[in-house]
Amino acid sequence: MSLKNTAERWGGISQLLHWTIAVLILAIGAIGLAMGELPRSPKYFWVYTMHKSLGLTVLALVVVRIGWRLYAGAPRPVPGTPRWQASIASLTHGAIYLLILAMPLSGWLYDSASGLRPLRWFGLAEVPKISAPDEAMAGAAHGAHEWLFWVLMALVAGHAGAALYHHFFQRDATLARMLPRGWISVPPREDAP
Amino acid sequence: MTIKLTTPAAVAAALAAMLAPAAAAAADYAQAPGSTLAFASRYDGELFTGRFGDFDTKLSFDPARPEAGRLDVSIGLASADTGNADRDSTLKTADFFDIARFARARYSASGFRRLADGRYAADGTLELRGVSRPVTLTFEWKDGAQPVLDGKAVVKRLDFGVGSGDWADTGAIPDEVNISTRVVLKAL
Repeated sequence: MSLKNTAERWGGISQLLHWTIAVLILAIGAIGLAMGELPRSPKYFWVYTMHKSLGLTVLALVVVRIGWRLYAGAPRPVPGTPRWQASIASLTHGAIYLLILAMPLSGWLYDSASGLRPLRWFGLAEVPKISAPDEAMAGAAHGAHEWLFWVLMALVAGHAGAALYHHFFQRDATLARMLPRGWISVPPREDAP
Repeated sequence: MTIKLTTPAAVAAALAAMLAPAAAAAADYAQAPGSTLAFASRYDGELFTGRFGDFDTKLSFDPARPEAGRLDVSIGLASADTGNADRDSTLKTADFFDIARFARARYSASGFRRLADGRYAADGTLELRGVSRPVTLTFEWKDGAQPVLDGKAVVKRLDFGVGSGDWADTGAIPDEVNISTRVVLKAL
């Protein structure tokens, strides 16, 4: 497996970052939705710390991922993709990159502006505050954090749906090339010779 | 009012009658706008402060006779505002102030001491969450048209069961809560 991206395939590093971040975001989202229902007690504060620590991990990974993409480039759209589809895909990818940066940043801002307690990344390292305690700022950041999450989920659903559409209906390599070679095969087109 | 000032004794009596209520009134005060009652604590080392917007002070005080002083403060616990809605709503629960059962706290003291540095101390009683315990308020008195009482006290929250159950760990929230108040007073 090539580590760098080629014109045809995503390399190992981009694949690892893509799927790690995807899994983390789904897990963080599930924790985030569930933790609001927990009784407010120090017994459960570790759940919040876990959500925030994983979120900051995603922030770091996204920065690495964007840097790697700028360095290693991206494969071209699979041959035969209409220009309008490629444009929508690019716009969606760009929006998702922005949102997966904005999600941890808005969460971090919410945490800082709330000023409830110190944040230690997985209990190991003190995370600096990016705002003084500020109730209005905390409210705005929390609102953004929630709304951006649902926008992100809608885009991710479209993104995943498009990948599955390419795989099962277009029967092209769009999905397969984001996975290690041989994990899934591109199904032969019925109209193929 | 017609007073016949016919004899020195009558003059003296009239003067005494006019001055006596004035002297008594000068020592009785009610709380004026601009007063604050604040508290400060920490969570996991993170400092936070709060204010009670609803509190009412009645004071009887003559700096020359502190031992005759009396102080009575009533505090609406639901008015605690720490700048965070989650924290404020938690403070209202049974684990903290339990405002459903104990809506108000009361601090009363009678007989103040003059301290060596010119301040005063009131050895009063705080009634909070159904528990009464001695709490000493030390204060500075600033005389004027609207005198100001600048006071500080330390309250041990666990004595009153504030932050009980899961919140009792003093490693997260120290037992001692710092109280500071600035009461602007108007003479009655």
